[in-house]
Amino acid sequence: MTYILNKNHLSFWLRRLKTTHELIAPVRDVSGDIVLTELSRMHETALDGPALMPSPKEFLLPQMDQLFCFSEEGIEEALNKRPRVLFGIRPCDVAAVGILDLFYLGKTKDVFYEARRSRTILIALACNHPDPTCFCLGLGTGPFSKTGFDLQLTDLGDHFLVEVGSETGATLIEGSPHIFTEPKPADNDDLYETRLASQSGFEKRVNLEQARKSIQTHTVPDPFWESVALRCFECGGCVYNCPVCTCFNVIDRAISPGSGKRIRLWDTCMFKGFTRTAGGVIPAEAKINRTKRWFMHKLVHWPAQFGTFGCVGCGRCNLSCPGKIDMATVTLRMKGLDKAE
Amino acid sequence: MTKNIYLPLMTTIESVKEVAKDVKLFSIVMPGDFTYQAGQFVMVSVLGAGEVPISITSTHGVSKNLELCVRTVGHVSSAINSLTTGDRIGIRGPYGKPFPVNVLQDALFICGGIGIVPLRPLINQLLHARATSGESRIVTVMYGSRNPSEVLFMDEVSLWREQGANVVLTVDTCQIESWKGCTGLVTDHFGKAHIDYKNSFAYICGPHVMIQAAMRDLSFMGMPEDHILTTLEAHMKCGVGKCGHCFCGGKLICEEGPVFSLEEIKKYNIKPGIDSLA
Repeated sequence: MTYILNKNHLSFWLRRLKTTHELIAPVRDVSGDIVLTELSRMHETALDGPALMPSPKEFLLPQMDQLFCFSEEGIEEALNKRPRVLFGIRPCDVAAVGILDLFYLGKTKDVFYEARRSRTILIALACNHPDPTCFCLGLGTGPFSKTGFDLQLTDLGDHFLVEVGSETGATLIEGSPHIFTEPKPADNDDLYETRLASQSGFEKRVNLEQARKSIQTHTVPDPFWESVALRCFECGGCVYNCPVCTCFNVIDRAISPGSGKRIRLWDTCMFKGFTRTAGGVIPAEAKINRTKRWFMHKLVHWPAQFGTFGCVGCGRCNLSCPGKIDMATVTLRMKGLDKAE
Repeated sequence: MTKNIYLPLMTTIESVKEVAKDVKLFSIVMPGDFTYQAGQFVMVSVLGAGEVPISITSTHGVSKNLELCVRTVGHVSSAINSLTTGDRIGIRGPYGKPFPVNVLQDALFICGGIGIVPLRPLINQLLHARATSGESRIVTVMYGSRNPSEVLFMDEVSLWREQGANVVLTVDTCQIESWKGCTGLVTDHFGKAHIDYKNSFAYICGPHVMIQAAMRDLSFMGMPEDHILTTLEAHMKCGVGKCGHCFCGGKLICEEGPVFSLEEIKKYNIKPGIDSLA
């Protein structure tokens, strides 16, 4: 089902959503970056800007998440039960949530992720103007979503075309029937043209499948990975900003003797101590092993395990890496290796 | 309702024994339905200090309690080793794949130092089976330590011999005249063990250099690569395949290991610390 939402009605609708849900939307912060945050003033929604930084991952997997607290009386679980709307996230991020679902709700379910995910509604906004760093087109994860969203909005000038992707999404429309109208045939034509225009706006064309094959057929030699590792600052920015990276550390914080909490924190495989064992051996001690591991995991092991790349083409690693060894740049350089043969 | 995979089960330590310097053996009371197999591990919590993976060193069905052997290395293992009888301890698990056992073939154990801990359940399991069902399998234990005072389970070694095991003990250095074992590396003494390499399973655990050397030697002497088994140590924070720390060569050591054969290690390029494994 599709509907039309006039832009004049957007604030009204958002205010309505906010009465029942915690409403998270993109807002321009003081530095000019567009960040996802709890929306307090409806008109502050920034839907025209570049990609969100950081990714919406933190609303499903907070940077610091309490697993339980403990005291003399015993252990108490802490589950977040607030219903939440992620409004205005991009199609690549919707795809990333789909990958997180595969990982966290697959064979072994993560109860904390499940508690947040089951109460999170995804309202996507299709990208009419891809950023120079974006390469979702080649991965099929953007610039508009085909599945995975509850609602998807496409900007068609003075109104949005709204696609319904789930029953939950449909109930949000049913809650405000008078502002959602039926689309005219011209709206569908506009949608088609908008999508075509968006697809032609990509500056980067990246073929991860080709990169995967290059790695598997051993056409990517170690000196190539050395040159990648050489430029790594070990800052972990690529991992923290990646909407798909999931690794975490677990630590205990004592509040008083006998009581405290166990928390998990984002961790990154780019840090040397990430794989340190009690015996003192660090399997991925050399920087080359760590950078290689990250690319191998996303390009080879994810497809083998889940049938999808561990990358959605959002380009955040490109924006955050000071050494310019992000997914797009490195895989494009791999393409050069093939040609050189 | 989804089970919370991160919640430890709080239980009680029944007894503690110092088996070597900085190494303690804990006997922990577990609920009746707690079952495990040789080669698996548990996540052990000391609330307030943290959680670490520890190999199980008791044999299910042979010993009543869960036994863990811990050496003081970091702050969590220090916290565990400061616990005494009656203290509360958190357990999650058991996790990981156990050792495969072929009932028809001989078993060779190669242990170095604290590496005997994850192998001890299988040694006892096989010797117990030998004693109760009259299996004719030959069990050989080759155990190397730094010096005689660091030989863990010395009292059990004589018991193993009584149960029919062929035990070769060796130490790096020895100033004690009463020492009856060998000296030198554990891999120097294959000649004393009379092993039928082609028809045996080898279970190896110890320092990485020892694992590497033992695997290379056994492979050289004609043991099939899928019969050469080791249990790999890895940094783990969850034990259930989520935290990503133990990920190596496309495999999660906590879920798909920690037991791997030389064949798998080569095939998947899983080589934590065995970087130069030929």
